[in-house]
Formats: sequence, structure tokens, C-alpha cells
Amino acid sequence: MSQPSAHDVVIIGGGVTGAGIARDLSLRGLSVLLLEKGDWGAGTSGSSSWMIHGGPRYLEFDWDTTRLSTTDAGHIVTIARNIVYRVLFIIPVLPHDKNNIERMETAMEVYDRFQPLKKSHPHKRLTPQEALEIEPGLTPDMVGAVTMEEWGVDPHRLVFANVQDAVANGARALNHTKVVELLRDAGAVIGVRYRTSDGAYSEARAKVVVNAAGPWVPEVGHMAGVDVQLRPAKGIHIVYPHRISRFAISAESIDGRDLLMVSHAGFTLLGTTDDDFYGDLDSVEVLRDEVDYLLQGFERVFPAIRKFRPVRTTTGVRPTLFKWRRYEDELSRRYQIFDHASDGVDGFVTIAGGKLSMYRLMAEETSDAVCRKLGHQSPCVTATQPLPGSESDMEPAEDLARRCGISALAAVKLQSRHGSRAAEVLDGAAAGRVVCRCEPLTEAELSYSARREQVRTLADAFRRVSLAGGPCAGAACVMRAAEIVGRELGWSASQRFDAVRDFVQSSWLGRAPVLTHAGWAQEELVQGATRGLFV
Amino acid sequence: MGRTDSLAKLALAYGMHLTRRRLRPARSQLKPLLDLYAADGLAPLTPEEQEKHPQLIGCINCGLCAFAAGRLARTRLPDLASSYARLYSRLGDAAGDVDGEEPDWEAASAACPVGVPLEDVARMVRRLAVG
Repeated sequence: MSQPSAHDVVIIGGGVTGAGIARDLSLRGLSVLLLEKGDWGAGTSGSSSWMIHGGPRYLEFDWDTTRLSTTDAGHIVTIARNIVYRVLFIIPVLPHDKNNIERMETAMEVYDRFQPLKKSHPHKRLTPQEALEIEPGLTPDMVGAVTMEEWGVDPHRLVFANVQDAVANGARALNHTKVVELLRDAGAVIGVRYRTSDGAYSEARAKVVVNAAGPWVPEVGHMAGVDVQLRPAKGIHIVYPHRISRFAISAESIDGRDLLMVSHAGFTLLGTTDDDFYGDLDSVEVLRDEVDYLLQGFERVFPAIRKFRPVRTTTGVRPTLFKWRRYEDELSRRYQIFDHASDGVDGFVTIAGGKLSMYRLMAEETSDAVCRKLGHQSPCVTATQPLPGSESDMEPAEDLARRCGISALAAVKLQSRHGSRAAEVLDGAAAGRVVCRCEPLTEAELSYSARREQVRTLADAFRRVSLAGGPCAGAACVMRAAEIVGRELGWSASQRFDAVRDFVQSSWLGRAPVLTHAGWAQEELVQGATRGLFV
Repeated sequence: MGRTDSLAKLALAYGMHLTRRRLRPARSQLKPLLDLYAADGLAPLTPEEQEKHPQLIGCINCGLCAFAAGRLARTRLPDLASSYARLYSRLGDAAGDVDGEEPDWEAASAACPVGVPLEDVARMVRRLAVG
């Protein structure tokens, strides 16, 4: 084992909160080590609805949460301006919905008061005919509709942008690195013992250890002998590899919950469920019942939904704060910071609860708590300091395409991931062939992600640069992608085969619950393309 | 306390909303809506496109149409159906990619194992790309 490294702060958990704290503290001049047992944003953050939203449903429970959420959303869309995009919701109202059209418009009128905080436009009201004109797939049974604007973001890129900036400001950040023990001295936590991706063990000493492990917060807490109670809630989404509608659409499930079908950059997420979860956090499966629950609720407002071919599902567990008796949907999305000095465990801070849309604020307040413990006085700058890729305006995609010899669509996609730094990704190298044609993703960008963006597996590449994120689910590209990533990481031939097999097998788990008709045709193609890997 | 307070404020807003609706005649907000979001690439599909939409986006990227008919302008046919047809909001920035010589659409569609109507895909993509 190597000599322990020394840091001001060690952060456990590389979701959006942990990454945000690492960025915040490193910008304040502290030395930071960020550890993530899987990949950046691979847990709860990555399985979210991909939205920076203000939470209009909290208006029923707590306007402060809406205000906090919209204010912080405003900061996020400013600092990440090149990777966020507007999402326009159509909310159709049907005759027997829990809210009639007047109540629904009232809620939107109230929400409009908060919309300027996140640079969004106010709602509009549409007659049934007008709603059908802009979205002919809606049911003609509706009595009217209102619109609502939110922001979309790729959470994987948002998390990585925070990691990237933390590293640029002096932090060390290791993915695929699991904390196996907290180091203790007379009750206080003084560091961590961890295992890296190559199986080696190391230690890091720190004045403060931050537990930002999302739903794994209680598990990490137990290592320090403290009890942090959560009420974990499972949520799933169905993923369609195209935009089914140009708009996002809301619906009501059989038990009156709000469902959303959200159009993102070339794909659609339909979700989500919200169920108490007691199982293994490292092995969360999607059930066909959950898929049927979503489709049943959604086909009431969008009757043709079952004709579209889903390509996979996603699932994650929300780290909701503990509360007895309430229904899952009524639980607060507020967060809480615990300084465990009050439990007799000094040097250990936990951040629990919250949501993606408030990650920056959660990170700021956690960082404030850490700075207070360290007696470090430096203001937070993350509300105004742009994230990597959002420092300046992007050049026109066609110019970038011409200069780099790629299609304009490939340039658009490159910019959607790297913002104003898109040209840097291809700098000094020919863009090369397009390796994932659905996306489209160039060989140069994939190589860059392995070289510069801590991609260590093909699933990491899926998160970082959307490899195999399209309609063919990797049938046409994973073998070639393994060669490219393997070349950068020094994989042997058998390691490349192993990488493809691992990717195909884990993708299958997410795909199986939604395979129908054309889905099976596509599955045959994937299995055919990778035949020979499973003998 | 928070919940009671929130519901009371919503009730007040509801009363004001109903009063406003009685006093002020409703005007169509469709055109202002479409104008507002035109720059964000949120042009709607037509009813015909919506009707065929499950087929238009059914491509599994097997590549057979490329063998049968090649390209539309600079764009390989499977890319048209698997990538451009995903209707990115910034499709307009890539309008030049799909502007040019036409392939043999009949041959392309005949080769498709899942029945994607490729000529219709091209029509939809071009319409949305030019805005």
C-alpha cells in the first residue's frame, strides 16, 4: 500500500452533489479528494428525468422549496448555459382529472411568479383544438391544456463538468474507487481507506470527510458508527430512442400521480414511478409491472404511446429524507446537512436528500459547513462562475463541421456535450470516422473521452459521450468502440471482448422489460453483431 | 403549517383567477406560443407525420437501405432514419446535411426489414430542418 495522501477534505460520492461540493471547495482554495465507487453520475443523478425544474408540485406543500429550487435552477442554467435547453410542457386536462382546467391554470399562474428566477417564460393556455394542432398525438377527449417551461440537461455531462472544474482547480477525482473503511482517531474521522479500479488499496487523510453518497449515505454513515436514516424511493423511466413529440407532455397515473414524457436531445424519457425501496441499492431491477403502470397512465392522454418502440429503461433510488406515514409522492425533496460532531464523531459531515435542480445550493451549504469546521473563510463563487464549456458562445455548428470535416449534426452533438470547448476535443486530431452513427459520435471524441474524461468502461462512454445511446443500442458500434477505447487504455484483445460482453449484458437488463415486436428485431441484430462473445 | 399556508394561498389565487376569467375575454395564445419557441426548434409535427410517426422512427440501423440505395445528399440513409429523424431541437443547424441529390427511395424502403418509409422520413426531416 502506498503512503497516505493528505487533503483538507475527502468527499465520498461522485453524483451531482459530491461533484458540486468538490468544485465548490476547490474553487475556495481547499485541497480536495473526490471518490466515486462507480462512474460519475452513474447512480441517482444519471437516472433522473434530466431536468432542472422548479418543482411546481411543491406549490401544494411548501412554496419555499419552489422558490429555492427555481432560484438555484436559475444559477445552474446560467453557469451551464451551453449544455441546457428549454423543455416546453403541454399539460392536457381531461374531464375526470384531479385538477380541472381552471385549477391547473391557477397553479401555472402562481408558478409564473417563480419562472423569471430560472429565466423561463410564463405559461399559455390552449383550447383542445389548439393543443391538438401543436401535438396531434394527444387525446381529443381533453377539455383544454396549459403549457409550462422547464430546462433540460444531460446529468452525466453536468456531473462531469463539475468534476472537470474541480480537477482544474486542484482537486483529485477518482472514479471506480470504493471507500472500504473510514479511518478513526479517538472517535473522530480522520480519513478513508479505498480500493482503486486496479484493486490496489490506498489511504487518504483529511481534516473533514463528507458523506455525499446519495442513497448509500446510511451505509457510509455506518462506517463511522452514525445512523443517518433515509426513506429511499425507487423511480424508473422508459427510454425511447427518438423524440416522440417535439414537446414534453404530462399525464396522470391510475393512482393520481403526475407522469411526464420529456423530449430531450434526440430521445424521450417517460416516467417516473416513486416507490419505497428496501432492496439492494447496487442491483435495482425494472419490473414489467412498473413499465405497464407508466404506459397505462400515459396512453390516456397520448393513445398511440404503445406503438412506439422503447429501447431501454433506467432506474435509480432517490435519497429522500426519512418521514413516517406519508405517501412517497408527498415526501419533501428538501435536504439536510448533518455535522456528526453532535454524535461524538468529529470531522464527518453528511448531506442527504435534495434533488438535481438544487444541487448547486446543496453543495454551497455543505461547503459552508465544511469551511466553518476548518475555520476557512472564502466565499462561494459557483453561482456565477461558468462550468467548463459554458465560458463563451459556441461557434455555428456548420462552421465547426466544415473545419473538422464532420457532418453538421455530428458538430451539433459534439457541442451539446462539450459546449464552447467542442473544437478542443478534436484539436490536433482528425475527427476520424463516425463510430456511433445513431448519435453521431466520432472516433476522435471517443478517444478523447478515454484519454481526458476518465472513461474506463464502455458504460462510462455511454454516460460521457452517449456511445450506443441511439436506436440500434450499440449493435453497430460497440465492437469498434472497444477497439478505440482499448487502444487508449492499453486493453488486450481479451479485455476488449470482455468490455463488449459486460456492456451488452448490462444493457440487456435495462432492455428486457420493454422488448416488443420491433424491439425483438433490434435485439436479434445486437445479438447477431456480438455473437461469439457469449460462448 | 407550510402545507396549510400553501393551500390557503392557492385558494386565494384560484378565486382571483376565476374572477379574471369572467372579466377578461380569452384570446388565442397559440401563435404567440409558437413564435416564442420557434428559436428553440420546437416546431410541431403535422397530423400526417404524427399518424405515421411510429413507423418514421422505427429504424434499427441494420444498414440494408445503404446497400440498396446509398445516400441522401451527403447523408447515409441509415443515418437519416436513425439519427436525423430523432428530431433534435437543433436540427435546423444541420439542414445542409440533407439538402441534395435523392436516392432511389423505392429500393431503400423495399430493403428495410422493419418497414420504415424512408421517403417520408426525408420529407419530415427536411421540413423540420428548414423550419
